[in-house]
Amino acid sequence: MLTLQIVLTGILLGGLYACLAIGFSIIWGVTNLINLAHGSMAILGAYVTWLIWSHTGLDPFLSIPLTAAALFAFGYALQWGVLNRIARTSLFMTLIFTFGLDMVLINVMLALSSADIRGIPLAYSSAALTIGEIRLPYTRLAVFAMALLLTYLLHLFMDHTRSGQAVRATAQNPRAAAMLGIDSNHINAMAFGIGAALAGAAGALLAVVYSFSPVTGAPLTMKAFVIVALGGLGSMRGAIFAGIALGVAENLVSGLLAPGYRDAVSFVLLILLLVLRPRGLFGDRYLFDAPAR
Amino acid sequence: MTAISSTPRPADLAAEDAGPSRLALAALALALLLLAVAPWYIGGYWIRIAANIFMYAALAQGMNLMAGYTGYPAFGNVVFFGLGGYTTAVLMGKFGVPFAATLGASVLLCVLVVLLIGPPLLRLKGHYFAIATLGLNEAVREIISNATRLTGGGMGISLPLPPGGPAASAISFYYLFLGTAIAATFIAWQFSRRRLGIGCQAIRDNEIKAEACGLFTTRYKTTVWMLSAAITGLVGSINAYWMTYIDPSAVFDMAIAVKSFVIYLLGGAGTVLGPVGGAVFVELLATYTWSKLLNWHLGAMGLIIMLAIALFPNGLPEALQRLPGRKDVNLRLRRQPITK
Repeated sequence: MLTLQIVLTGILLGGLYACLAIGFSIIWGVTNLINLAHGSMAILGAYVTWLIWSHTGLDPFLSIPLTAAALFAFGYALQWGVLNRIARTSLFMTLIFTFGLDMVLINVMLALSSADIRGIPLAYSSAALTIGEIRLPYTRLAVFAMALLLTYLLHLFMDHTRSGQAVRATAQNPRAAAMLGIDSNHINAMAFGIGAALAGAAGALLAVVYSFSPVTGAPLTMKAFVIVALGGLGSMRGAIFAGIALGVAENLVSGLLAPGYRDAVSFVLLILLLVLRPRGLFGDRYLFDAPAR
Repeated sequence: MTAISSTPRPADLAAEDAGPSRLALAALALALLLLAVAPWYIGGYWIRIAANIFMYAALAQGMNLMAGYTGYPAFGNVVFFGLGGYTTAVLMGKFGVPFAATLGASVLLCVLVVLLIGPPLLRLKGHYFAIATLGLNEAVREIISNATRLTGGGMGISLPLPPGGPAASAISFYYLFLGTAIAATFIAWQFSRRRLGIGCQAIRDNEIKAEACGLFTTRYKTTVWMLSAAITGLVGSINAYWMTYIDPSAVFDMAIAVKSFVIYLLGGAGTVLGPVGGAVFVELLATYTWSKLLNWHLGAMGLIIMLAIALFPNGLPEALQRLPGRKDVNLRLRRQPITK
């Protein structure tokens, strides 16, 4: 029974991871840069949510659009103003640049809100769905559902709007997309904005069920990378499965073996994966589940 | 520091074959002499800063060998800094081994680790290699943090105090780091002229072609990573003894790796003296900003990194050379033409 409880909680956690990783995946897939500040952007989203909640009392689930919009604007401006230019010199520089950004974000959060560990206690936090001995808090169920909903909305956007199709086209072949008149600066900025918005939304969801502090972002970046590498770059379905797999694996290790090794799971998985299957578990690039034509 | 102000040349074969000129050698000898007597003329504060500069110069040389000459961004190389530090800390603190012997042990350990993980990890390229080394660093940090009985875990570990009190030991660490930085620079110089270094540069420029020419690329890459890891591990050992107390989050800190990367980058990638000049520049800048902005030192360092990348993606020397020319030229330097 305990194991089943651990597995179910892991699945719910996995939804959150997937939401985080899909944002990472879009940035990587379209602009070809690895955003080392992704985890910190999620924590930034958590802080925005926390600020809104503590000042206005607005329910965190309702403020997700605000958080996502704020992070979208941040991401769009960053890619449009700076990263597009750096990416032209050398891609690797963007990696270092995002690390610098990560340090700045952490410092800004430390300065604005101190290093205290925060959380958002809600009136319904302790209510739970109880089936036999298994107890699933409603907040975690809601977070899982919300993460899947966001993923579905993104899928609709990518498949059924012109902007979404332009993003996908750029991911598949940037040069051909540019020749067809797609403004790659704008599309890259949009991809980074969407990725940042998803990170922010994931952070808002994280704030509901976990406590956070400015320095909790780094392991999240790693997890996003592992999930994307596991599920295939640009694959939403892959990210969901890989996210859930990582959530379950982490919960099993920390629940049954040793709690201290929770974050080590993703690092070990990462190295094993890169060494054994450098192209991801499911082969080559997926490019946002584009149907083969 | 006269040797640094002379423009570092690219490790280009024709230029390097002639060897350094007599004037350059004289300047180098003078600079070394000045550095050797400097501790008697500068205060304790500047001795510490100078020791820190030498430390980062050596770390940046380690990064230079991997990223600059071989084209493999060993982003998580700080893992050897931490491993070296913990080898010294555990051997000295728990088993009473003399300091000099622990230096050998950390170099040996770092070389063995590369021997083990080098061949599989070096098959990865670019982003993947960078992230894999990052993951390696995090994994080792988790292991050290959880092996509490041996390493003290997250609470850290103390080392015996260096003999002779703080002032005398600061001077001995000055010379230790100076020696390490000189040795690392000498290694980089010899490396850039010898078969190993030339092979690594071929790998950086075109790995498939290098392999087709009969180069055992894995052997070359593993060897250069061993060199890089040995330098980094040695620096980590000395640093641990200097600090007299280390914990996992301090020595497996990615910021150290990124800082040494930025130093190597600003000094000019793939040049022998670049990392030394970069270390002087970045460390002085960091010292200056940190003394002004106590609560913002992390952000200031991040900002320095971001600005360095955005303004001088090809290093300071190149940016300075092109200064009189067109505006904004350094952002366009490596832009690829649309048609090949």
